[in-house]
Amino acid sequence: MRQLIVKRLAQTIPMLFFVSIVCFAMIKLAPGDPVMSFVTPNMHAEDIERIRHNLGLDQPAYVQYVQWLKQLLSGNLGYSLINHQPVLDQILDRLPATAGLMACAIGLAVMIAIPLGLVAGANRNRWPDKLINLITYVGISVPLFWLAILLIYFFAIKMHWLPSMGMRTIGVQSAADVLKHGILPCTVLAFGFLAVYVRYIRSSTIGQLKEEYVLIQKAFGSSRYTILFRHVMKHVLLPIITLLGMSMGDLVTGAIVTETVFTWPGIGSLGMTAVRGMDYPVLMGITLFSSVLLILGNLLADILYGFADPRIKTMR
Amino acid sequence: MEMSKKWSTAIIFVLLTALITACGSSSDKTTPSDNSGQQTETSAPKDGGNLIIGVGADPVILNPNYAGDRVSLTIDQSLYAPLFQVNNGKITYYLADSLTASEDSMTYTLKLKSGLTWHDGQPLTADDVVFTINSILDEKQNSMFRGNLIIGGKPIEVSKVDDLTVAFKMPQAAPAFEATLVQLTPIPKHIFENEADIEKSTKNNTPVGSGPFKFKEYKTGEYVTLERFDNYFGGKPHLDTVTYRIAKDTNAANLALQNGELNINYVSPQDAPTIEGTGNYDLMPYSEGRLSYILINENSDLGVLNKKEVRQALGYALNRDELITAAYLSSEYADAAHSFLTPDTLFHTNDVATFDNDPAKAKELLQQAGVTNLKLRFVVKSGDKTQEAIALYVQQKLKDIGVTVEVQSIDASALNSKVYSSNATDFDLSVAGYIMGFDPDAYSILFTTDNSSNYSHYSNKQVDELFQKGAGESDATKRGELYTEAQKLVAEDAAIYPIAYTKTIVAVDKRFGGIDEAVLKPVVIFEDLSKLYMK
Repeated sequence: MRQLIVKRLAQTIPMLFFVSIVCFAMIKLAPGDPVMSFVTPNMHAEDIERIRHNLGLDQPAYVQYVQWLKQLLSGNLGYSLINHQPVLDQILDRLPATAGLMACAIGLAVMIAIPLGLVAGANRNRWPDKLINLITYVGISVPLFWLAILLIYFFAIKMHWLPSMGMRTIGVQSAADVLKHGILPCTVLAFGFLAVYVRYIRSSTIGQLKEEYVLIQKAFGSSRYTILFRHVMKHVLLPIITLLGMSMGDLVTGAIVTETVFTWPGIGSLGMTAVRGMDYPVLMGITLFSSVLLILGNLLADILYGFADPRIKTMR
Repeated sequence: MEMSKKWSTAIIFVLLTALITACGSSSDKTTPSDNSGQQTETSAPKDGGNLIIGVGADPVILNPNYAGDRVSLTIDQSLYAPLFQVNNGKITYYLADSLTASEDSMTYTLKLKSGLTWHDGQPLTADDVVFTINSILDEKQNSMFRGNLIIGGKPIEVSKVDDLTVAFKMPQAAPAFEATLVQLTPIPKHIFENEADIEKSTKNNTPVGSGPFKFKEYKTGEYVTLERFDNYFGGKPHLDTVTYRIAKDTNAANLALQNGELNINYVSPQDAPTIEGTGNYDLMPYSEGRLSYILINENSDLGVLNKKEVRQALGYALNRDELITAAYLSSEYADAAHSFLTPDTLFHTNDVATFDNDPAKAKELLQQAGVTNLKLRFVVKSGDKTQEAIALYVQQKLKDIGVTVEVQSIDASALNSKVYSSNATDFDLSVAGYIMGFDPDAYSILFTTDNSSNYSHYSNKQVDELFQKGAGESDATKRGELYTEAQKLVAEDAAIYPIAYTKTIVAVDKRFGGIDEAVLKPVVIFEDLSKLYMK
């Protein structure tokens, strides 16, 4: 077991390195000049060059990369080019809002997806399957921002049940208030995840139903319900670990659009602002942060698998 | 298969019905719900109440020496009192009591009001003003206002005369200095004195100002709340708090406005009828002192746009009134523009040459210039409805005079680096705009040869000369003549195609009063929020 963990950990290092190069390169290749955010019409060319020099942007790209990596390894993600605050602080400041929202959304999606996926798989190509399929197709095809606006229109403007934006009522500090603000964005996000999860669980259910233990249970006279929700479900839950591992990256960046529409003060809206302002350090910080989480999530999933499924441990 | 189709049809039908019923329900409440739990029923002007203003982004920095973005400027307007403000050529004094120029415009004397204090109770004196100016001039402090305080290559000199008096010495006659000073706002010396880098100082996170409202709380990505400053020199403000709520998505902001979660916000002409329809808001279009124009790139590799006849021909092909309707929906939201100076600028005149609505003349001019089969590239910011509408209109009208226009829709940052770079030759037309303030000298960077912001790459020796003379002329009448001449020349040369002096529309909750006294102001919405009250 320990060997497995060490091996997986070692594999992540080159991966992280690669990720850092890719995200640095992509942002370098993007159009726009960050110096422009410091420039006013009254500035002379020398002033602009001075700023460029002060920011180190006159150096060749590889020098900029090495500088950045050095600082990174000492725990400094740099400073925003726009507001000059430390990037790491900004990310950590907004992490709870995003992580809370995403955890709720993913949790909700999983809880709904399991029964839906099981039912769909067990009734393959019959009407319950078609109905659930329809819902998932809608979930995949509907743009989330549109769904968000629709929900705001109905629940906030027409019915006055829920607030339309923000995470808090101004000046109010209570969990209930945050929850109330979270209902709509959480629902929108869950709808997006739901579609993927249901498809996943459905196909895994179909596979499981062909297994011998199902036949045996049938022979013993177990009801369809018992077979499905007692025996098959246990096996279907396993791949959900992988699914959750893959969602770790989403914890940080999965909600850019939804956060922007709902003015949810998370990492997604931070990222949106950074993109608009060509704020390289913040963009790189967020990309890197989510990549690290994704890689760690997969690592964690692998390890959990080892515990949940004894067959994995023996397969080196 | 049969079965499934029937099912899906049925489900879609049910969904649609639900949706239509939801939208059609007429159970609208007439009063907006108030989620912040503050309710007022009184109608007489009184103290108290909370105001929520929508803003499009987080403020970049709450320090007026560095604030350049709309949101920071808006918040700073309430947080930091200006020295004075100028509206339609009329001065209103705030921190300052008077500003007098010497006969030769070489020395300016600023008197402060007595008994001024910062939000933390410390006195605000001439020392703060001198400190502010000197820290802007300090190269290490990277303030973007530094360039404004350099005149003819030399910095101005500032000195304290006594606690309430500051003297500014110009390196050369500078009649436009008032327009420079109006942009500068004192920052507290006792807070920033020993900061090596004021811009990066953590003290900017809890700003101490001198305006009608003081800093209370900033939740990143959510809101900035200010509370009443009782010792405000202009009298105790009426409202208890002002909150700037961040709403990045325009659609979401409009919904929040409809829902009463915002009291004040900008709205686009397209959304204006919806907001007005709620019956809860007054829509106020007001001039931003902004010119919207079609930029003509004289550097273009086509090599013909540097001929003024060709540029004039392009103008003749268009109809300005039609263009305004296409872009801004109604002339209520934009006034036709002829001059490069906006109407709020000193010496503005709209009585200049304009090339408008004469396709026959346009064809003739093109023929004279020997230009045939002209193909122009019009770059617009993708997703910008106004720019797209302008480009499509131009495309259609120029077709009538035999000019093909290819509209290229590109991403905002790519557009900026193309259009606002000094040497792009691969585009011909674009839509641009500027807000330059009330002194015509500020416009020199846009129209003088090889200047940093001369994006059209327009060059006319006479215009250069007029701007240079105007900057140093202290006699108002003579100065006026110089700038009138400059306006005529630039118009005659068709350096740009001015479209309109555009207006901003702001929606204000009907429950708030004192709008006229607070003065609607370009960029910052209100000049003095202390005057607003809840009815």
